[in-house]
Amino acid sequence: MGFDMEETDQLIRDTAHRLFTDQCDAETVNGSECGEAPERLQKAILEAGLTLAWVPEAAGGVGGSLALGFSLIRQAAGFALPVPLADTLVANLLLAESGLEIADQWAALAMDGGELPVLVQGKVSGVVEAASGMPEAEVLVMPVTQGGQIRIAVFTPSVVDVQHHESLAGEARSRITLNAAVPDQLSDPVDGMTADGLGQFCALVRACQIAGALEKMGELTVGYVKERQQFGRPLGKFQAVQHKVADIAGESAISGAAVEQAIRMISSHPAPFDGSMDILLPVATAKVVASEAAGKVPRDAHQAHGAMGFSFEYPLHQYSRRVWSWREEFGSEFYWSERLGMAVASEIDTHGSGKSATRAWDVVSR
Amino acid sequence: MESVRFNFPAPQIDESVDELRKEVRAFLEEEVRSGGFTPVTDCWCAGIDPEFSRKLGEKGWIGVTWPRQYGGRELSALHRYVITEEMLVAGAPVHAHWIADRQSGPLILATGTEEMKQKILPQIAAGKCFVALGLSEPESGSDLASVRTRAVRVEGGWEVTGTKLWSSGAQQCQYMTVLARTGERNPEKRHDGLTQFFIPLDSPGVTVRGIRDMSGVEHFNESHFEKVFVPDDAVLGAVGEGWKQITNELALERSGPERFLSTFVALEKALQQGAPNMSGHQAAVAGSIIARIRALRAMSLGVAALLGQGHSPEVEAALVKDLGTRFEQDIIERLREFWPVRMKQGYGDELQNLMADSLLRSPSFTLRGGTNEILKGIIARGMGLR
Ligand SMILES: Cc1cc2nc3c(=O)[nH]c(=O)nc-3n(C[C@H](O)[C@H](O)[C@H](O)COP(=O)(O)OP(=O)(O)OC[C@H]3O[C@@H](n4cnc5c(N)ncnc54)[C@H](O)[C@@H]3O)c2cc1C
Repeated sequence: MGFDMEETDQLIRDTAHRLFTDQCDAETVNGSECGEAPERLQKAILEAGLTLAWVPEAAGGVGGSLALGFSLIRQAAGFALPVPLADTLVANLLLAESGLEIADQWAALAMDGGELPVLVQGKVSGVVEAASGMPEAEVLVMPVTQGGQIRIAVFTPSVVDVQHHESLAGEARSRITLNAAVPDQLSDPVDGMTADGLGQFCALVRACQIAGALEKMGELTVGYVKERQQFGRPLGKFQAVQHKVADIAGESAISGAAVEQAIRMISSHPAPFDGSMDILLPVATAKVVASEAAGKVPRDAHQAHGAMGFSFEYPLHQYSRRVWSWREEFGSEFYWSERLGMAVASEIDTHGSGKSATRAWDVVSR
Repeated sequence: MESVRFNFPAPQIDESVDELRKEVRAFLEEEVRSGGFTPVTDCWCAGIDPEFSRKLGEKGWIGVTWPRQYGGRELSALHRYVITEEMLVAGAPVHAHWIADRQSGPLILATGTEEMKQKILPQIAAGKCFVALGLSEPESGSDLASVRTRAVRVEGGWEVTGTKLWSSGAQQCQYMTVLARTGERNPEKRHDGLTQFFIPLDSPGVTVRGIRDMSGVEHFNESHFEKVFVPDDAVLGAVGEGWKQITNELALERSGPERFLSTFVALEKALQQGAPNMSGHQAAVAGSIIARIRALRAMSLGVAALLGQGHSPEVEAALVKDLGTRFEQDIIERLREFWPVRMKQGYGDELQNLMADSLLRSPSFTLRGGTNEILKGIIARGMGLR
């Protein structure tokens, strides 16, 4: 990665931070759940080109690194951004990877970690239970499978059969049913892309979002316990409260460390969507640790906030509800623990047949 | 800086680090194969074998970061990290030299006289000189600033009187670093007037008595100092500055791999046994443990990287220790689901033994080197709550 790229990345990170700070306050987030679409925010994000961070310059994008996109995703989660930036980033990345056209608009990601819809003679059939980013989207981007090969299909949202649902946090999660539907665009098979690899990439996106939101919950909690007074002193002076805050910091820190480690790994990988063991390992690690933390941190943060944190007006719930739904998406800690455990067991067990690992430690320290 | 945002940068691993890891692994495998040692859990506290320490000294694997003139090899902190983590997961008996390599050596390097450095450090690096930590006392544990051991000036040096408790491995050590009060107690400035001394344990007036711990190992000690004379140059650093040195020392030693790998040998053994017939449920438990260890390791290496860049990540280090030590206890609790711990160690089955020993040693993980409650206080202070 050249120096220029790092400079561009930093520029865009700063732009995003300013934009979110200015245009995504707590009222905007709450408002968007009460029927006030955050149009100004949406427009600003598109204009700043944030949705194109992962699109090469040649295809009209920013040409940022994988690390850049992930850092935008993490930042956005720290503002409870009520706009499908993460989903559009991934959708556009899939378009770019498969050589399809990319427009400067919101895109929905028709993929949820379940079975991919099937392509037969140019027509797509199947169900995606929880596509994300639907209401705003002008295109629907869907990985489909044909004989084990992955292609990317693009549909116009208004012509497919959609049932709209919402996640715990009010984020659009739509059920899409396709019955021999003909896509508007269909890519060639994409080299080095597997269903598993796609699922892992998206699991890391969710883990990254969780890390961003947990950090914010820590900040809100520290701020609150310093302000709020009971028994004549700030709550933060009570040791029981201090220890809760320390626990929040710990879970937030370990999630962040696991996510950053996985991002470093995937960023330097020649085939980030191939689902190989060297990606599975850090991604499963990140999603397990972040999803576990997504249970612990809200519990402590809400306890420290008292009834105020339970009110709709105070922003804490925007983060707790998000992490509660993100921890389930693209595989919970239970799913990824089992995958990881099985992968490790099979490496240890098949050692005789020429695999590299003989010990769990070889896997841990890899 | 108050912040709840933490950064754990990637360690810069070059070829020489990988090479060293391979060398260490090969050596340890051979040692186990040839019966040089039997793996033990919590080996950095419970595995004492001076002979083994000498072997590591010969290999050049102790004091690797120190200057060559004092017996070191001027390698990076990461090289040391790799050596220590490989020792831990192999269950190697490293306790004898552990404290001297990790803590006392660097302390001497920073605060000792030139003569002390030339005399002691090469001996430590050779695996022949071991040092105990004399901090805790019968009446002073978490509240370390309340130590009662006193040092009074006499002609040519100092006279030390008091009792140190829980000093790990002191019966094998030639020296102890002793924290003593040298100035009057001042309730306003509780941390002033404390000084560290480097005391030979064969000095007249010193008695060391082993204390058996609940796991059956006689690893820690009560040491009594009765008017023990030490010369002026036994003072480590400046008189009255002991507290600052100790807190620096401890801050840096909180985040090493021994804070989450103490019970790894039991996990490894359990997975080796379980791998061929692993159920989904077992795999889920194993996977969640492995995920957390990997994440803790990323944090711990991140702290090492921050230290290497010249930062002092006190809060980050405390976070590693708080999360890591609780987790090395959890590992055993969770493995119990598949491998119940019933029999006392010595039962014969290796996994049973490692599990039993791990469980019996586990209460100490969240105490030694500063309790988790004290660590949480440090974290809370870092976030501006105290
Ligand atoms: C295996 C092992 C090896 C050791 N090796 C050494 C060694 O080599 N050298 C050495 O000097 N010492 C050593 N120690 C001692 C260790 O440093 C002390 O155990 C530790 O500092 C705690 O002190 P304490 O045991 O007196 O407990 P106490 O300080 O009496 O604490 C008892 C309990 O009260 C809690 N507590 C105390 N104060 C507070 C507070 N302000 N707020 C909230 N909770 C509080 C503690 O967290 C703990 O849970 C070792 C201990 C063990 C277990």
